[in-house]
Amino acid sequence: MLKKIMALVSLALCCALVQASEIHAVVKDQKGKAVADAVILVTPADPRNALRARAPAAAVDQVDKQFVPYVKPIFVGSTIRFPNSDNIRHQVYSFSPAKKFELPLYSGTDAPPVMFDKPGVVVLGCNIHDWMIGYIYVSETPFFAKTGPLGTAVINDLPAGEYTVRIWHPSMDRAEESTSQRLILTADTPGLAEWQIGLKPNIRVPRVSGEATATYP
Amino acid sequence: MRPRSCRVAAAALHNADMHCLGTRAFYKAARASVPALLIYCAVSNTARGDWVVATAASLSHDDNVGDARGYSDQVSDFSTSGTLSLLQLIPVGESYSLIAGGDLSGQLYDHLSGLRNASIDGLLSLKKKWGLGAFAAWSRAQVSVARSDYEDGYRDATVYRAALEVGKRVDERWNLGVKYTFERRVAAPGAGEIYGVSSDAFSQAGRSFTANAQYALSDRLSLSLGSLLRHGDVVSTTLGEGQSYPLSDLKAAAPDPTFGPAAYAYRLDGTTYAVRLGADYSLTEHSRIGGGFQRFDTHARGGNNYTNSVPQLTWRYQF
Repeated sequence: MLKKIMALVSLALCCALVQASEIHAVVKDQKGKAVADAVILVTPADPRNALRARAPAAAVDQVDKQFVPYVKPIFVGSTIRFPNSDNIRHQVYSFSPAKKFELPLYSGTDAPPVMFDKPGVVVLGCNIHDWMIGYIYVSETPFFAKTGPLGTAVINDLPAGEYTVRIWHPSMDRAEESTSQRLILTADTPGLAEWQIGLKPNIRVPRVSGEATATYP
Repeated sequence: MRPRSCRVAAAALHNADMHCLGTRAFYKAARASVPALLIYCAVSNTARGDWVVATAASLSHDDNVGDARGYSDQVSDFSTSGTLSLLQLIPVGESYSLIAGGDLSGQLYDHLSGLRNASIDGLLSLKKKWGLGAFAAWSRAQVSVARSDYEDGYRDATVYRAALEVGKRVDERWNLGVKYTFERRVAAPGAGEIYGVSSDAFSQAGRSFTANAQYALSDRLSLSLGSLLRHGDVVSTTLGEGQSYPLSDLKAAAPDPTFGPAAYAYRLDGTTYAVRLGADYSLTEHSRIGGGFQRFDTHARGGNNYTNSVPQLTWRYQF
């Protein structure tokens, strides 16, 4: 009987040790307003905890002459498809050091998928519609998420242990490294990470051109 | 020999028959068909390109609508205008794009009802991007034909334009461009000449060079500065009192009853300098509202110099 009890206790302890935990992230701007499209990156101190890598299929669509989603985090080595849901042609490109590529004019789902094998930020553009801009964040860590309209995100399935958590946003006014926070997760206590960041003005090529021209009547 | 006053010539022209209706109607129809053809070409390519449908409305004030020299001849007025543009952008290869389409526009004046007009404009342009991305330099060649019908029909004209344009967005904030335009406005000529002066006062030709810079102050607000240098025909209207021109300075003269029963329009050779300051605010991703002020300074032959100040408010929506 004692042996049975000892076995059950041991099993319960083992389950607790491998039980997943989660991090709740909240990102606000300097005025306390929720920041959407911030990428939360969670790096385990123990590299063995990063072995549970996920490589989900990903896509960045083009809808109403915009990239959708505006920000797409992926794990390094992932492949992205670029379907074109508009009934016109787009020409997608990137000059970013993390991935330089160009998809010549295409419509529908004709474009071949692109593999992102180097971590970093990839800025997307369309050579026909200059106002189109999108971001792919190629993450070194398999644990990441993106904040929604409420400025919150949850990263789950994290093994208990020590983690470094940081964020990236296209308009963030500081270096990504300066946002690092250290968290220790236990099985029964989710971690909470909060940031208040400054955002630079998001100046983009306007879709509607303004009246800049001196003209003779 | 000292040139005589043009007033004598103008009085004679006033009674002349200015129209040859049959021929004019034919040319009117032929000219109007050119923009329609361009629009048709655009429509037939729907499968290849994308449509741009845009509207604009503006309110402006000109303190010297008739481009008169003398203060007593200057007439100011407000005008409102609306434009509906239908363009199709057709990518041609990796670095060229063709834009074909047209505008329908109308303009109403508060007091000068004879200047109310409606226009149809067809355009065709070929743009080349010298590289990849939003910051690549680009150049564009454009031709357009417009037909304008005025409430006072003697101003009706067909306007032909050809332009070459070069631009570059330096970064997210700065956008620069220069443009050379040749313009020819063909109006119905009056009948004959008198003392060697044509009565074709509303036909004009001119060449202009514009340089424009736009600076984004924030994600919604941008400022612009534009300058213009134009040389060619200018039309200056006097109200009939106190202003006369030597015949040798005139290219044409004709009655201009839009401005009054004794008013005359004189076509002269002139150079115009203009500067424009503007600000634009992005209301939504699809719409902008802007305000601008344009100042024209024209130096015409024989010391006929005049200025115009034109403040303007504009709202644009692009679908």
